[in-house]
Amino acid sequence: MTAILQPGFWVFILTMSGIYGIFTLGLQVQYGVGGILNFGHVGMMALSSYTMAILVIAHGFNFWIAAASGVAVAALGGAFLGLTTLRLRGDYFSIVSIAFSEIVRYVIFNSDGLTGGSQGSLAIMPIGDAYPSYTDTWDTILYWIRDHLTPIFGEVADRDMAMGILVWITLGILLFIVSRVERTSWARVLRATREDDDVPSALGKNVFRFRLQAVIIGSIIGGIAGIYWALQVTLLSPDDFLTIVTFYAWMILILSGATKVKGLAIAAIFFGFLYGGTRFFTFWPFSVFDASQRSYMRIMIIGIVLIVLMIRRPQGIFGKREEMVLE
Amino acid sequence: MAEFVQLLFNGLVAGSIFGMAALGISLVYSVLHLVNFAAGDFLTLGAFTTFYLATSQHLPFVLAVILSMVIGVIVSLILEFILWRRLRRSGAGMLALFLVASGIAFILRQSIALTFGSDSRRFDLDQLTTYEFLGAQIARAQLIVLLCASIAITGIALFIKKSNIGKDMRAYADNASLAAVSGINVDRVIIATWTISGAYGALAGVFQGTVQGQFTNGMGLDLLLAILAAVVLGTIGDAYGALIGGFVLGVVMDLSTWDALAGGIPSTYKPVVGFAVLVIVLLFKPEGIFGVRARKI
Repeated sequence: MTAILQPGFWVFILTMSGIYGIFTLGLQVQYGVGGILNFGHVGMMALSSYTMAILVIAHGFNFWIAAASGVAVAALGGAFLGLTTLRLRGDYFSIVSIAFSEIVRYVIFNSDGLTGGSQGSLAIMPIGDAYPSYTDTWDTILYWIRDHLTPIFGEVADRDMAMGILVWITLGILLFIVSRVERTSWARVLRATREDDDVPSALGKNVFRFRLQAVIIGSIIGGIAGIYWALQVTLLSPDDFLTIVTFYAWMILILSGATKVKGLAIAAIFFGFLYGGTRFFTFWPFSVFDASQRSYMRIMIIGIVLIVLMIRRPQGIFGKREEMVLE
Repeated sequence: MAEFVQLLFNGLVAGSIFGMAALGISLVYSVLHLVNFAAGDFLTLGAFTTFYLATSQHLPFVLAVILSMVIGVIVSLILEFILWRRLRRSGAGMLALFLVASGIAFILRQSIALTFGSDSRRFDLDQLTTYEFLGAQIARAQLIVLLCASIAITGIALFIKKSNIGKDMRAYADNASLAAVSGINVDRVIIATWTISGAYGALAGVFQGTVQGQFTNGMGLDLLLAILAAVVLGTIGDAYGALIGGFVLGVVMDLSTWDALAGGIPSTYKPVVGFAVLVIVLLFKPEGIFGVRARKI
């Protein structure tokens, strides 16, 4: 229980919440505005983080170029997904998107030579004798920030705190940008396509193109989350990108009320506590289970929360029922 | 040639399993308009309950399989009564149905993991006897699976076509309000749908566990991709399409590893082939291979 009292634990929870918040924002653009049900969002995170790691470790790219390339590959992934299936009915898109993310993970898992396979990014062949790490540039920034935090926070200031601050600044900027974008005419057309295709089509709007743009923008944001994920975990593994991660984002999105941006940050923190906090369920009746069994229960709890939310409060904590459009 | 026969046979066995599981998803979709993402985990449930009853409780294997099918049906019906019915009445949309189905999948999979641990299991069956046919090695277990699956598939196809409940199901899938107005017992149709889906899911899980030899609690999830691809390939909501989609996918995935085809692809990439087939078909025929616009069942 002592870990709960340590500031490092709270910093960790907040950092993860922020990364999940960024990740969820990508879905928010797709579903909250465009009504697109993407269940393969985690695939974009996998594409960007692995592209970045491979370019830095195996090809010696500058971190910033590699990170930008990672996000670009995520955008391409979104474009591929959208071009192939977005013309079809909504449920087809959902099924194919879930398959897409699983295929990405599957290919990463099996392409040992390129991605390190099941051993993760540690097994990517580095140039020369270098240690297979992609965080060097980023660490320099984090340590610089830490050194400036130390006078304020004392010993509590560390690399993780610097990371948390950068993640939340990014989330704040992205939230601001998305909330502005959602007031544009582009978003109004997209919102109209959510209700029905015919009216926007009759007004001369290319519904498919608007949806495709929404998926690509969402994938870019998901790609940014992937870069932060990679930097936070410092060592990528194909298991980081299981389909359930997409459902974590859906849970945050539903909690925040889906059509509103403002609740997203709070919903992400709520999720962070639920996710990170359950590991401290060491008291009875949970004490009869060992640590690995409790990790199974964590996912069960997520499943139960999802179901109860959909039945009891589909509008989320912050949404108003009458505003919630559940298709 | 021997390799071709071998792969074709393996593909047919895999396809019969995909088809049975895909049929359940497609039927549920046509009647209830929900994509059952938990279907894969119902396969796992079937395999593990059979393992428990046959290996730990020493019941005869066939009895264990039948009891597992009953358990699959019971779990499906409990979920119908406590969740799906309530969601339908509140007019829940596609997203709510998707997320609840996924929630069920997580709970089911983790419950199995919690009960049986993460070790792999195997049925106490003869896995070694093989027959030689046109140079190919055909395992007895595979042959039995293919025969049983063919019987099960023919049976269900006839049931949907000929029986009164089957006709009611097709009528309800075609036009729910018209069917309800004409006096079709809607509850009976829904219960029959979940019964078929639950029983066939469990049976497909036992078949897959038998063919694989060893299985873990992730078995159903690993198959879900191919099953969903079969569903979409055969036009979602079309039960016969799902069966054929399953066979097509099973055969294509196995034949893609054939050496004669430019060396074939590594067998670990088989699921990728399934996905590629799906995407190509959707690009050229968005309604699935057999889709004649919005045909149901």
